[in-house]
Amino acid sequence: MADQFYLENIDEFVTDQNKIVTYKWLSYTLGVHVNQAKQMLYDYVERKRKENSGAQLHVTYLVSGSLLQNGHSVIYVLTDCFSSVKSKLAVTASIHVYSIQKAMLKDSGPLFNTDYDILKSNLQNCSKFSAIQCAAAVPRAPAESLSSRKFDQSDLPASSETQASELTTNGHGPPASKQVSQQPKGIMGMLVSKAATKPQETNKETKPEAKEITNASSAGGKAPGKANTMSNFFGKAAMNKLKVNLDSEQPVKEEKLVEQPPVSVTEPKLAAPTGLKKSSKKAEPVKTQQKEKKGGKRVELSDDEAKETENMKKKRRRIKLPESDSSEDEVFPDSPETYEAESPSPPPPVFSPPDPLPKELPPIKSSSGESKRKRRRVLKSKTFVDEEGCIVTEKVYESESCTDSEEELKMKTSSVHRPPATAVKKEPREERKGPKKGTAALGRANRQVSITGFFQKK
Amino acid sequence: MTTLTRQDLNFGQVVADVLCEFLEVAVHLILYVREVYPVGIFQKRKKYNVPVQIFTDDIIKAQRNSVICPRPHSPLMSNDSAETSAYMSCHPELNQYIQDTLHCVKPLLEKNDVEKVVVVILDKEHRPVEKFVFEITQPPLLSISSDSLLSHVEQLLRAFILKISVCDAVLDHNPPGCTFTVLVHTREAATRNMEKIQVIKDFPWILADEQDVHMHDPRLIPLKTMTSDILKMQLYVEERAHKSS
Repeated sequence: MADQFYLENIDEFVTDQNKIVTYKWLSYTLGVHVNQAKQMLYDYVERKRKENSGAQLHVTYLVSGSLLQNGHSVIYVLTDCFSSVKSKLAVTASIHVYSIQKAMLKDSGPLFNTDYDILKSNLQNCSKFSAIQCAAAVPRAPAESLSSRKFDQSDLPASSETQASELTTNGHGPPASKQVSQQPKGIMGMLVSKAATKPQETNKETKPEAKEITNASSAGGKAPGKANTMSNFFGKAAMNKLKVNLDSEQPVKEEKLVEQPPVSVTEPKLAAPTGLKKSSKKAEPVKTQQKEKKGGKRVELSDDEAKETENMKKKRRRIKLPESDSSEDEVFPDSPETYEAESPSPPPPVFSPPDPLPKELPPIKSSSGESKRKRRRVLKSKTFVDEEGCIVTEKVYESESCTDSEEELKMKTSSVHRPPATAVKKEPREERKGPKKGTAALGRANRQVSITGFFQKK
Repeated sequence: MTTLTRQDLNFGQVVADVLCEFLEVAVHLILYVREVYPVGIFQKRKKYNVPVQIFTDDIIKAQRNSVICPRPHSPLMSNDSAETSAYMSCHPELNQYIQDTLHCVKPLLEKNDVEKVVVVILDKEHRPVEKFVFEITQPPLLSISSDSLLSHVEQLLRAFILKISVCDAVLDHNPPGCTFTVLVHTREAATRNMEKIQVIKDFPWILADEQDVHMHDPRLIPLKTMTSDILKMQLYVEERAHKSS
């Protein structure tokens, strides 16, 4: 049986390799339940003490119980000085070996460090050997997660608390008698509070998103439907871009958002539209923080957040690219750079949701936001049928005097002839008909090409 | 799999950044573990978020867009979530000294002129008692084989930190009243260039004395080795056989 060799294994790890052997690390390395690992360590320590061999061993223990004063469950990690700690505890729920190492540890940092890597590599089955179980905690299917995130999860803390009391203990008997029942409560308490804050955070994030969508689509009935389908297609990345574009909308909407309970992650994103970069950087620490948490749900959430921050960064890049490449109509006096400082300008009241790319940023370029009569040279696309019978679209400079709305109309008409074979770049102007309540200056140079143009083609 | 020469990307800078940040943590940790300074001046801090962030931004960008712009040296300590906790000194002069030292080493690392960085612990008579030797090799041809390169490097550096934390077990106690210094072994004539470019004013580097470098009757204790696509490093300790004499 493999059990016979565990003593030699532990000996090798501790003495030869000078490792810190924690019970968690041992359970993953040998593939045994944590309680069994604790017993193995205990056996080893006892034998070594009996042998009284020269090798100096330092052992850390974990003592948990409820304090005399507070009545809360407290977990101490310490080395050998039990009596002082026991006196502080009214009820000692458990004492077990936490780790064995050769060196005397000055603090608990290396213990955490030891467990960190092995846990990270076993993230998918981190509770495989664990004594803490919750029957309701199963990884969500990806399809569910997108839609279910929108639902209110405020009852989660309550439900998980009830589940904590229903915990069943595992098969292996722990060395201390009351250990399993007490420990899970304490640790479940921590997990519950963690779980509560996490869904709350994502919850709040999706709440503003949902609100923004409904606000934006107040004028157009199609938009909410489209929003949902689009969101299902593009997931969180698209929703965020949506959010960003909506951020450029009026303060009226921001008032509604302010009503939301403030969350550190979402606040920068919502309240400061110009601070896109800042928000992505703030999101990063949260992202890495959430990355480290275990559990199916959490891994999923953090992945999405990582994608979102990455996409935010990507999005900033993408702003630059199309402007340098081909944009439909380039108006020469206007500088293509100005739309980067987009959002504060008066936004269009109605926004067509299926436009994840920051195509709406160009409108803000004309700070006045009103239509002006101008004469200017405009790069227009002319579509015609050439000798081979193919429909060809060419860019041609034309000078014209027009307001913004006129310009749009022209573009709309030319878009009808768009041939199916031409590149994506030539495309979408239909998006503009959404935001077009006349005030915002749209349809000028540096229009962003929207990938959803495909879906507009009917 | 991408193969790049050192000139293709500004990889040298990124690797130098990573190494300097790691060495700063390592030096502080050595001083803490070996009790060169009283433990009271040390504070527990979190580490191994910052260099990963630099990498995540820059190297992943580089992989996708072939453009790399390393972030300027950001503050070492972050208050973000912990992957590793390390002890860092709070004493401003000590911190400044270590930072200045590594700031001067950075240009050498960028050009791959550094052979080893040695943290020497000296006793009261200024004779070396222990030497923590970081042997550094950077491959001339960098092959980025995976996107998880950076988390891999982070993991390896974390293992180094862990090993330094437990090196007590294999080393004898140092006599009281020790001091420390940092030696850099460079390749060829790199130091001459360094004199020309005085990186930090009033922080001159001098050629080390023989007595600082040479240790009588050393014992070699290897601690850790790491190999990655961008960096190879080895840490071992040379210890004087009789420390208290």
